Amino acid sequence: MTAKTAIGDMPTPAVEASNVRKAFGGVVALDGANFSAASGEVHALVGENGAGKSTLIKIIGGRLHADAGEVRIAGRKVVLSGPDAAHRLGAWTVFQELTLLTWMTVAENLFLGHEIRNSLGLIARGKLFSKAEQVLADVGIFHIDPRALVEDISLAERQLIEIVRAITQNPQILLLDEPTSSLVERETVWLFEQIRRLCKNGTSVVFTSHRWNEIRTIADRITVFRNGKDVGTFTELGEEEAVTLMTGTRVDVFFPPLPQAPQSQPALSVRELSGPRIKSVSFDLYKGEVLGMGGLAGHGHREVFFSLFGAEPHSAERIEMSGKPVRIRNPRGAVRQRIALVPEDRKTEGLLLPLSVRNNLTLTILRQLSRFGLVRVGEERRLAQTLVERLKIRARDLFVAVGALSGGNQQKVLLGRWLLAASDVLLLYDVTRGVDVATKHEIYELVLGLAREGHGILFYSSDAEELAHLCHRVLVMREGRIAAVLSQPGITAEQIVAAAMREHATV
Amino acid sequence: MPQYKAMEHTALAQPFRRSAAAHALGQNIGLILVCILLIASILAYCGIYYAAQERLPGGFEITSTVNNTMPLVLAALAQTVVVLTRGLDLSVGGMMDLSNAIAAVTLSASLGSMVFWSVAILALGALLGLLNGVLVAIGRLQPILVTLATLSIFQGLAIRVLPQPGGAVPEAYTAALVSTKAPYALLYVIAFGVLWSAFRRTRLGVSILAVGNDAQAARAHGIDLIRTRIAAYTLSGMLAAAAGLFLAANATAGDATTGNGYTLSSIVAVVLGGVSLFGGRGSAIGAMLGAFVSSMIVNILFFSHIDPLYQAFYEGLFLVLAVVLAEAVGRLVRKAS
Amino acid sequence: MFARLFHSAEARRILYAYIAALALFIIGQIVRPGFLSPASVESVLLIASFVGLVAAGQTFVILIGGIDLSVPWVLNAAAILLATSSLGENARTAQALLITLGMGALVGLANGVGIAFLGVPAVVMTLAANGIMEGLTLGLSGGMTCESCASYAPPLVQALTHSKFLGIPSALWLWFAITLLVSIALSATRFGRHTYAIGTNARASFLAGVNVTATTVILYMLSGIFSALAGIMLVSFGGQAALGMGDPYLFQSIAAVVIGGVYILGGRGHYIGSVAGAICLVTLISVLLALNMPEYGRNIIYGVIILLLLLFYGREEEES
Repeated sequence: MTAKTAIGDMPTPAVEASNVRKAFGGVVALDGANFSAASGEVHALVGENGAGKSTLIKIIGGRLHADAGEVRIAGRKVVLSGPDAAHRLGAWTVFQELTLLTWMTVAENLFLGHEIRNSLGLIARGKLFSKAEQVLADVGIFHIDPRALVEDISLAERQLIEIVRAITQNPQILLLDEPTSSLVERETVWLFEQIRRLCKNGTSVVFTSHRWNEIRTIADRITVFRNGKDVGTFTELGEEEAVTLMTGTRVDVFFPPLPQAPQSQPALSVRELSGPRIKSVSFDLYKGEVLGMGGLAGHGHREVFFSLFGAEPHSAERIEMSGKPVRIRNPRGAVRQRIALVPEDRKTEGLLLPLSVRNNLTLTILRQLSRFGLVRVGEERRLAQTLVERLKIRARDLFVAVGALSGGNQQKVLLGRWLLAASDVLLLYDVTRGVDVATKHEIYELVLGLAREGHGILFYSSDAEELAHLCHRVLVMREGRIAAVLSQPGITAEQIVAAAMREHATV
Repeated sequence: MPQYKAMEHTALAQPFRRSAAAHALGQNIGLILVCILLIASILAYCGIYYAAQERLPGGFEITSTVNNTMPLVLAALAQTVVVLTRGLDLSVGGMMDLSNAIAAVTLSASLGSMVFWSVAILALGALLGLLNGVLVAIGRLQPILVTLATLSIFQGLAIRVLPQPGGAVPEAYTAALVSTKAPYALLYVIAFGVLWSAFRRTRLGVSILAVGNDAQAARAHGIDLIRTRIAAYTLSGMLAAAAGLFLAANATAGDATTGNGYTLSSIVAVVLGGVSLFGGRGSAIGAMLGAFVSSMIVNILFFSHIDPLYQAFYEGLFLVLAVVLAEAVGRLVRKAS
Repeated sequence: MFARLFHSAEARRILYAYIAALALFIIGQIVRPGFLSPASVESVLLIASFVGLVAAGQTFVILIGGIDLSVPWVLNAAAILLATSSLGENARTAQALLITLGMGALVGLANGVGIAFLGVPAVVMTLAANGIMEGLTLGLSGGMTCESCASYAPPLVQALTHSKFLGIPSALWLWFAITLLVSIALSATRFGRHTYAIGTNARASFLAGVNVTATTVILYMLSGIFSALAGIMLVSFGGQAALGMGDPYLFQSIAAVVIGGVYILGGRGHYIGSVAGAICLVTLISVLLALNMPEYGRNIIYGVIILLLLLFYGREEEES
């Protein structure tokens, strides 16, 4: 890695963005951001969710147009009309949301837009597959069948294909937006090998990640983003320092203390829950307990949550609520049993964004709120108002569309809906993802407050640190089973990650 | 690079490949289903025909079946191109009416007139298709609403051109498109099949499938959504106009309303042919075979002495059954593999 | 309770639709003096009520992002069924009405079940239902050659459109009552809330405990019932049923809903708007007829107007 010393000598950066502004509706994503990356270096972009990293990458990748400011590639000012314009200039992007076409084969996806043609100018399908096999083998991937439909391969495999697509173009600039989020460690190591190889050939690699280890391992320089602006570029940066820069405040005692030990009666008992991707899951969730659930993505957590809520097919030997056996066939049944689910993606699975705060809050309790089918509006307003005050939801009034609120306030509305429904058991699935730090803290307080009131809370998080600090116990899932049960005191994030990874290497 | 090796080894530990044939089978289940359906319906037709006539259907029956199916084959092609982009073209029937009406009014027996007006009608079809495409792609309007509105416009134009059924289509024109001597029209079907296979391997063909599969992903791959959609609707308009010409050639006269039913029939054929109404999946070959299945079903109904007044009833019923069954079979195959 | 109505863009569209209706009446008066006479306005509104009834069902299903293409032949079948089951006798009126509305509900039920439980796309399901009803109607009536097919609607049913109450045709009172009921259902009931929720995001509504399938089925049933009711009104107005009498109503009902500002992908809009849309459309048709515009010209103008409206609303959509 000689890149670090080479930077000073580079007269023109491979890619440069200056004073870039971009707003979506009223929300400013980039507010005069500057950034530049040299040839042959790995440049990490770090910042909180919503700091503008992805937006910047999309602008350089040609997927979005900046409202103001300019982008230079190899010193020349460019106006990118679309991703193909960026491709022509040698800038390739692996976007955070995957862009593979599910009903096409792996090979077709690898060569989409630059297909291998025969003498008639038509795509040569036979050659397509052998060439794809070759390309994959060249980068050390042998386990993905180029003839398979993307629909039929796993999320991690899709991510690998997406990466291979970009790196086989010999890009001058390679932009990777959270490329490792669905990869296991082995695959991440593979990716870093590829990145190093490209850098040796002079490619400039820009990449984002929330995992500090990865950034420390691979990045030559780090640019920190906050609120749509760059706040500094560094060759050496400690984690704590970085977090301070990212949040703008010093991080002190971040997690609230755990409430007292849970009660002795279980709120929810699950025995031998099975279904697609889950095998014989059994556990007890006690009243007043925050029971964490951790492990690698795609190992059955989501299925457990959705099955318990009746939104996925499942079978179980026994499910009991406060000692009474129940059968949950659909979400309506779950609501009746006072089970609540806050799903991972609040915008598509949780909230009704164009509808008002009031309508979102009271949706599940309309039955209790109405007489002869007519909604008792006065009572409804009173309830909704109480909740808005209790959760400190910052909204102009009850009739403003939920979509107009900030991410954290949206999440509170969703939690509020289930508080109104007087849920005994709350299934919270990655509720702090994409939420700013201040609101995260409020949500932690809220969750622990609910536990104190005697609610049973099943808490999945992709952030092991969060699990270690917030939960009485943590169930670690691996391949659809509960692989480990960790108890306080003394749960650490490392323990959780280790339990999730164990045996993994030998499979 | 030790870790790199590790990746290689674990990957190699379980190298699992299905054969190319197995993939082809799994990925073309719709096409295979429609082939089976076609064979079954032909056998059923022959059986019923034999029971009624005490002989197997001969050259005349085959020729007339093929000729009568040709407009639907073209209409199904027109519908397929748009459905693959995840759209729907309700104006197919109106376009056929218009093309049919203009053909009946303009065509005269000279070769020059026939060629000129055929080309002109196809060009008009493309132009009106372009209108649909522009409204959908640039106007960003719902395909159903746009084509419902243009359906009304096209039908109005058709009635303006030919207020009463009539006009005459020269015999030579009929002979060229749908010869009554032998099922030469099948050559068109084969030609369209070959053309589709080539089209599927062009930039535009891939783009159409990609846009229907996932528009945002397609865009990220540098595919121009607007241009692709416009091209698809333009092509659809031209194919629908061609369907109207076949309709005119069959009837040897014009009628500005006979095309109406083809909107529904074309959707039936497309669905029977295994093209997904959610876009991105399916083949025009399947849709053409689907057209033949529909027409075999009509034949079977006819020889089963079922009142032709009930035809729409059975078409509607088969449409629903086809969609439900295709969904169920697809799910079974997915589970099995 | 109508708070939803006073919200921004949605309310604006509805207002535009009423202004447009008013403008069309004035244009009508200019091209043909006497267009604004009470009798003329009354007849325009009467015809608008038929469109308006179909549009009520169409509004319901479009609010959840669906569509009902089975309108024409449900309406036609209803008209014929009413005539043939009553044989023009007052004594049989009650049972004939029940059978006819029941038929509409049944078709709607089938549509709803196909869409909500079997996962058939709404366009395909209702298109197929239209074909099924067309085949059944033609087949069972022998192409309108059956003996009872020539029956008139019973005088009691005919009175619906031909009698007056307080100087206003009974049919308009009926439409007014239905407008009130539908508006209350949409704005003030649990059912209405669920409808808007499903139209906004069916998956999220399901996960919030809303019974998406049942609501969907009920909405399609309502659409079937309203189509059948429109068929009854039409046979009441014309006296006899005829083949093809339902054909214009698919296009007109969708047009009325779109003109009235209901968002075609669901979740936004109100029947109050569709009412204005229906009045607008029928006034336009009357003006065109007053100008002696032939059928083809009317077809073309409908199409063009729908496209223009879509473009106009589409633009507003992007701004907000």
